[in-house]
Amino acid sequence: MPDLAGREAPAASQPSSEAVSGPVVVLIEDERPIRRFLRASLTGQGYRLVEAATGEEGLTEAAMRQPDIVILDLGLPDIDGLEVIRRLREWTAVPIIVLSARGQERDKIAALDAGADDYVSKPFGVGELLARMRVVLRHAARSSTETAESTFCVGDLHVDLAVRRVAVEGREVHLTPIEYRLLTTLIRYAGKVVTQQQLLKEVWGPQCTEQAHYLRVYVAQLRRKIEADPARPRYLLTEPGVGYRLASE
Amino acid sequence: MKREGLSTAPVTVTVRQHNPDWAAYGRATVVVTLCTAVAWTMFPHFEPSNLIMVYLLGVTAVAARSGPGPSVLASILSVAAFDFFFVAPHFTFRVSDAQYLVTFAVMLIVAFVISGFTVRIRAQAESARERERRTAALYALSRELVSARGVEHVLRAAERQMAEVFGGEVAVLLPDPGGRLSLQTELSTRFEMTSSELGAAQWVYEHGQIAGHDTSTLPETQALYLPLVASHGTLGVLGLQLAVPHSLEAPEQLHQLETFANQTALALERTQLAEAAQDAQIRAETERLRSSLLSSVSHDLRTPLATITGAASSLLEGDNILDDQTRKDLLESLSEEAERLNRLVNNLLEMTRLESGTLQVRKEWHVLEEVVGAALGRLAKLLRDRPVTTSLPADLPLVPIDDVLLEQVLINLLDNAVKHTPDGGPLEIAAWSREGAVTVEVANRGPGLPPGDENRVFDKFYRGSGSTSRGTGLGLAICRGIVEAHGGRIWAENRPEGGVTFRFTIPLTGTPPELEGIDA
Repeated sequence: MPDLAGREAPAASQPSSEAVSGPVVVLIEDERPIRRFLRASLTGQGYRLVEAATGEEGLTEAAMRQPDIVILDLGLPDIDGLEVIRRLREWTAVPIIVLSARGQERDKIAALDAGADDYVSKPFGVGELLARMRVVLRHAARSSTETAESTFCVGDLHVDLAVRRVAVEGREVHLTPIEYRLLTTLIRYAGKVVTQQQLLKEVWGPQCTEQAHYLRVYVAQLRRKIEADPARPRYLLTEPGVGYRLASE
Repeated sequence: MKREGLSTAPVTVTVRQHNPDWAAYGRATVVVTLCTAVAWTMFPHFEPSNLIMVYLLGVTAVAARSGPGPSVLASILSVAAFDFFFVAPHFTFRVSDAQYLVTFAVMLIVAFVISGFTVRIRAQAESARERERRTAALYALSRELVSARGVEHVLRAAERQMAEVFGGEVAVLLPDPGGRLSLQTELSTRFEMTSSELGAAQWVYEHGQIAGHDTSTLPETQALYLPLVASHGTLGVLGLQLAVPHSLEAPEQLHQLETFANQTALALERTQLAEAAQDAQIRAETERLRSSLLSSVSHDLRTPLATITGAASSLLEGDNILDDQTRKDLLESLSEEAERLNRLVNNLLEMTRLESGTLQVRKEWHVLEEVVGAALGRLAKLLRDRPVTTSLPADLPLVPIDDVLLEQVLINLLDNAVKHTPDGGPLEIAAWSREGAVTVEVANRGPGLPPGDENRVFDKFYRGSGSTSRGTGLGLAICRGIVEAHGGRIWAENRPEGGVTFRFTIPLTGTPPELEGIDA
């Protein structure tokens, strides 16, 4: 959209001058208090923040600034947040993190299906949002260089993808082929939420997306092998009503 | 055709009265012919007076089966046939002996009287049967009305029974709050309601008198309208559009119709009063709940808000006085109270959804351990200084639950335990499967419940008697709502060693999914 380049969107702020080199974040959120506290926290963390109060404005800003992350509130005054995701995904693979209320699991799944990368439930702590942002940035960087890491380590869990070796606290753990496939799929998205449907599709194939209980049973088995206390998992976390997340930090 | 007409369809009975039944006349002729044949065979051996008896028998038979017309025809034909065949000179209608004229006259009179009596007895029997049928119908209606629940059922029962008995379309018209009648259209689709018909019905409603078709008031309308009069006035109007016009001439049928209308009116009144009483009770209950909710919520929302406002203003205004530790304390209480406020609002929303019936339980087969893990994960901060032990057997079956709702149950139980037990007190979570249900327990080592309060804790707005209790008194009520929505039961028990155990069951209803091909 080159014709928009010269125009100045009124509600948009210029990227903060004190952090010239940080990643650019387009924040699409109609609530001023939330924009305000995010501005304080994100610029303090070295992000360059561009704010938009409406969906249309946000789409324009995203086109002009070529951001590294889009943070999107699902409940916008002008257009549906899902529509914003779809229109962004028509031309860009920029990581999108959705802000949504707890109890709206269906909306979260719809947003993830439409192409969002992750979500944070309101109310949220800045630490949680920053962690999600780091994860999606890391994934974006990795996919642009096309290099997959051959090992995955978090806490006491070590997975050597090259030799298919899984170890917890240095002890080797034997996984069945499906458990291993489940783990490696989660590793591929480490830190990001993966919906049940997506996991079923990637591990079992597209014809098995109705068999969520299989997934749950295998996750439980996998937890018993890699978690010290499967009822209080450290690595393989559940997002009730949505899916799973493999801890990455 | 006549037999069926008598036993079931009233319409046929009325039809016969208005259209001459030519077959009956034909049958009368056939009967007389037969009598003549019989008399002919008897003629050489019997006196002519005995032959008259054969004809009288024939007339009686005709009268017993058909109406007055065919009987009269049979009487006249009998006399004519007797004259023609058996009175000299034979095969003419001339009579040589004048005495026979007396015989003919007496024979005709006897035939008329016999057939008259027979027809009347038959008609009485028929009307007795008809009356009995309507009484039975009335009885059936009353029985149906007594058991009818709700206005619509009453109306439907009345319409069905009356349409069946009186033959035609029945409609009930009820007034709106402004007193304007309207057809209960979903019930009576075939009743033709024009504006003049509606006007007649309105007149009946306002005057409380019968009017319409076949009455002296507004006789030009299509239907007959009866007021539904109950003890507190006219409730509505009943319209009857007869399948055969003018078929309700007998006054007893009209009385019967009025009895039907009265029965319907009384049932309608009873139902309306019951519904009004129920509404009033619900309104009172809602009002009571709303006021206690408001007082409870306003207090519970203000407490964290007061802390947040206070801490934030201290930080803003005392910027250069506060030392780092104080600043940190204030920030921590800000964050904690905000989280408390969040839990409170969540509970309020959840309660609203439970109460309004909009809560949807999306049951799927879940691993309980996973839901416990998610709840513990979400409360990690709240539980950071509490030892929590979990004992969930590895062979626990899959449970049919809504994971998001069940997580809420566990969160509320854990949150409740944290609120009511001393800091650092241990918590235990356990589960087991027995007799088609999985039981989950969350136990603490707090002060325990006052004896007798073990079940009251799940009531809305119940708060522990201790002054330390905080919260809306909604958390456990929500637990009960969600558990019951799953078909389970929740209860609390004081532990002998001190503390409280909260237990709930999740019935293993439905067929658990096949788990074939799982490689362990």
